[in-house]
Amino acid sequence: MIPFILRRLTTLVPMLLAVTLLVFILMSLAPGDFLTPVKAQRDINPALIAELQKSFGLDRPWYQQYALWLGNVLHLDFGYSWTYKVPVAQLIAQRAPATILLSITSLLLAWTLAIPLAVLAAARPGGWIDRLTSATAYFALAIPEFFLALLAVWMAARTGWFPIGGLTSLDHDFLSPAAQFLDIAHHLILPTLVLGLGGVAGTLRVLRANVLDVLQAEYITAARAKGLSEKVVLFRHVLRNALNPLLSTIGYAFAGLLSGSLLVENVMNYPGLGRLVYEAFIREDQFVVLGSVVVACSLLIVGNLLSDLALAWSDPRVRYGR
Amino acid sequence: MAQPVFPIALCALLLLSACSPPPKISRQTHPLPAGVDIARSEIGRSGGVFIDSSPGEPSTFNPLVSEDATSGGFIGLFLDSLVHNNAVTQEVEPGLAARWDIAPDNRTFTFHLRPGVLWSDGHPFSADDVVFTFQAIYDPRFPNRAAFDLSVDGQKFKVEKIDDLTVRLTTPQIYAPFLETVGGVGLLPKHELEPAFRDGTLLKSWNVSVAQKEPQRLLATGAFRLRSYQPAERIVFEANPHYWRADAKGVRLPYVDFLVTKLVKDANASTLAFATGQTDAEGLSPDNVAWIDRYASRYGFSVFNRGPSPNTGFIWFNQNPGHDTAGKPFVTPYKLAWFTDRRFRQAISHGIDRQGLVRGVLFGRGQPLWGPETPANKKWYNPNVTQYPYNPARSRALLAEAGFQIGPDQKLHDRQGNLVEFTLNSNQENQLRVNMATAFKENMRDLGITVNLSFLDFGTLVGKIQDSYDYEAGMLGLTGGGDPAGGISVFSSKGRLHQWYPNQKTPATPWEARIDQLMSDQLHTLDYPTRKKYFDEVQKIMSDETPYIYLVTANAYVGLKDRWKNIRIPPLGSLVWNLDELWTPLLTP
Repeated sequence: MIPFILRRLTTLVPMLLAVTLLVFILMSLAPGDFLTPVKAQRDINPALIAELQKSFGLDRPWYQQYALWLGNVLHLDFGYSWTYKVPVAQLIAQRAPATILLSITSLLLAWTLAIPLAVLAAARPGGWIDRLTSATAYFALAIPEFFLALLAVWMAARTGWFPIGGLTSLDHDFLSPAAQFLDIAHHLILPTLVLGLGGVAGTLRVLRANVLDVLQAEYITAARAKGLSEKVVLFRHVLRNALNPLLSTIGYAFAGLLSGSLLVENVMNYPGLGRLVYEAFIREDQFVVLGSVVVACSLLIVGNLLSDLALAWSDPRVRYGR
Repeated sequence: MAQPVFPIALCALLLLSACSPPPKISRQTHPLPAGVDIARSEIGRSGGVFIDSSPGEPSTFNPLVSEDATSGGFIGLFLDSLVHNNAVTQEVEPGLAARWDIAPDNRTFTFHLRPGVLWSDGHPFSADDVVFTFQAIYDPRFPNRAAFDLSVDGQKFKVEKIDDLTVRLTTPQIYAPFLETVGGVGLLPKHELEPAFRDGTLLKSWNVSVAQKEPQRLLATGAFRLRSYQPAERIVFEANPHYWRADAKGVRLPYVDFLVTKLVKDANASTLAFATGQTDAEGLSPDNVAWIDRYASRYGFSVFNRGPSPNTGFIWFNQNPGHDTAGKPFVTPYKLAWFTDRRFRQAISHGIDRQGLVRGVLFGRGQPLWGPETPANKKWYNPNVTQYPYNPARSRALLAEAGFQIGPDQKLHDRQGNLVEFTLNSNQENQLRVNMATAFKENMRDLGITVNLSFLDFGTLVGKIQDSYDYEAGMLGLTGGGDPAGGISVFSSKGRLHQWYPNQKTPATPWEARIDQLMSDQLHTLDYPTRKKYFDEVQKIMSDETPYIYLVTANAYVGLKDRWKNIRIPPLGSLVWNLDELWTPLLTP
């Protein structure tokens, strides 16, 4: 098992190299750089611009800049944000909790809704639960997340039932801890729904097919023949086996949630990594972009590794490393 | 966490919890400093929360790092300076210095600090802080914008401490905008920042991370001090208990307890927050005024017209005679001959229907612009510049005089028979500008001139204008206003933003040489009428020679909740510049 984990982690290195190199080339090809807005201000001295260019290394060719950055990364220094003058790692750590919170709530929403619904739907294929969930799932899959986010913002603005974006109210600082908790929960409802709904639909469709498959298996007939109740058959025997393929996709799901949150965060004014990265891209704040790309790639690979491990744990037939 | 199991019950609960009013804070009462400044405004009542929104995130709380207006605005709330620029009168007023003397040589300024002023941590403010601030600014280890603003021809000012409450600043030569420039320098606390200064980490102090974790370390002399900062969400300032101003009854300012700024992602979100009654004040663009006004009575706000904004919009032709490293001229030679002909530029100017632009693009909320300053800059605006009202007949006459003629194809041709055609570049992000460029193209077609429009990404456009010079005509805007010294990089032929032909070694034309002379002369006298005379001439020359063909200036609008008193709306700059004097009889919004 340990060699397997190590082997998987070493694949991270070439992948990160390739991805960061690509991002670096694309950013250097893009017109302008971080100092373009400064250059367009009328009362900034050219000597200051030259000095800033030098201190940022923007006067050197891109491959030199990239080599310098790589050298620093080897010492676990991901560089400084030019905008905020704060180490990139610190900046990401500042914004990550909000995004992780949103990812967890959406994943929870997706699984807690999808699993029971899928089992119920598969138990009576063609029944009203099945037809209703199928129709809803197709509908949810057909709506892009950003559009759903816009709809949610519009709904919030029209009805006033939910706050329009953000994670906390303006008077959050003045509230009691319990009220602060409720305040955050209130703000999380819409983004969670928007980000989680696609996940509900996707998970539901995959799981329903799996459950149907497993229901045909002979050991299910055996279990029923033993006289086990339908509930026990469905949730202990069928579900346990049907979940395995789903476990191996959870890593992708997590990485997908992060990229989805980039859109949703920007539309819904949510204070997480997505907004930070988007603003860094617009401003061409190189090291923040690179740092967040590194985080996203690592999450994808580590997420997949974790889901493989989860699969090995849940399915005794799966063995790695030998 | 929030599974919407019982959505209705949950919502009801949350709505209840969301409606609790902010707690009344008990202010620490400290005695007023001996040098207290008594405000002359109407006497108000303490309390209340002022809420606004900012479409940009502060990038730092360190004045040495700040280059953008957003960060600068937040820093200005807690760091005070020796003198203030009154936004309404555009005059210099006492700040942390109660008064100052100017020696007869017009270069030596002695500032007398207010006695008894304390930092927000209770530590006394003194001349040491002033000297420390200038030391930090001039230190080559910390490249910063202020170091360049506070020097004349690369020479620094001399800063001496006379005693604890007296500082003397000497400029190397007479430097006209001295007081205005010093007014923009937030003074730093020596006792707090000296360790960072010593070990060279000063530029990393007071960054957004410190502001989030230890807001109390950002010491204040201004009306407010930082209470909390949540990135991408909000910034909360609270009244500084040691602020040095009070009202006529001896009540310490500011009147408001808290200043909450909602951080939103763009200007649209900011406008929307105001239009739905969430914030107290907002600058509005002309195209938003009509629909926002409809919500005025529902949310209890009013929309004010501040008159012309300080923003100028203009078109110019590339007059750069140089060539690139491959020897190819930046501008095709026969086109360069048109662009450097004053009559051609004047003809274009007469051919633009500016009233039409105001009506069609700005919905009547603006006015034509003829020179580099807009009427918003009351102190420096010259109304007597040459105007080019819409007159296609006059355009045709000027073009004929310059040897252009309409060919059989109904298009304009020059003396050699070249078709008159050029490409106008602008940036795609600004919709008003895109509309104006389109209208301009139509106007030019009436003269037989073919204009191709090219809308570029802002970065690409700046690259063309400032680095590659590979373009024919451009359309951009600059924010004017303030002291003429701010425009040197535009007007001086050596300037970086002298866009029609930047970074000249020697002035290309006699009139550019004259402008160079005037800009230098106005910088080296403290006498306002003399400076005004010089700068008036600069504006006149700019309008005569029309290197920039000025278009229109939009009016500026602000929306403000009616509950606020002591509002004085300045033509320029921040709407709530006298935030310490604002008060409200209605404490809950």
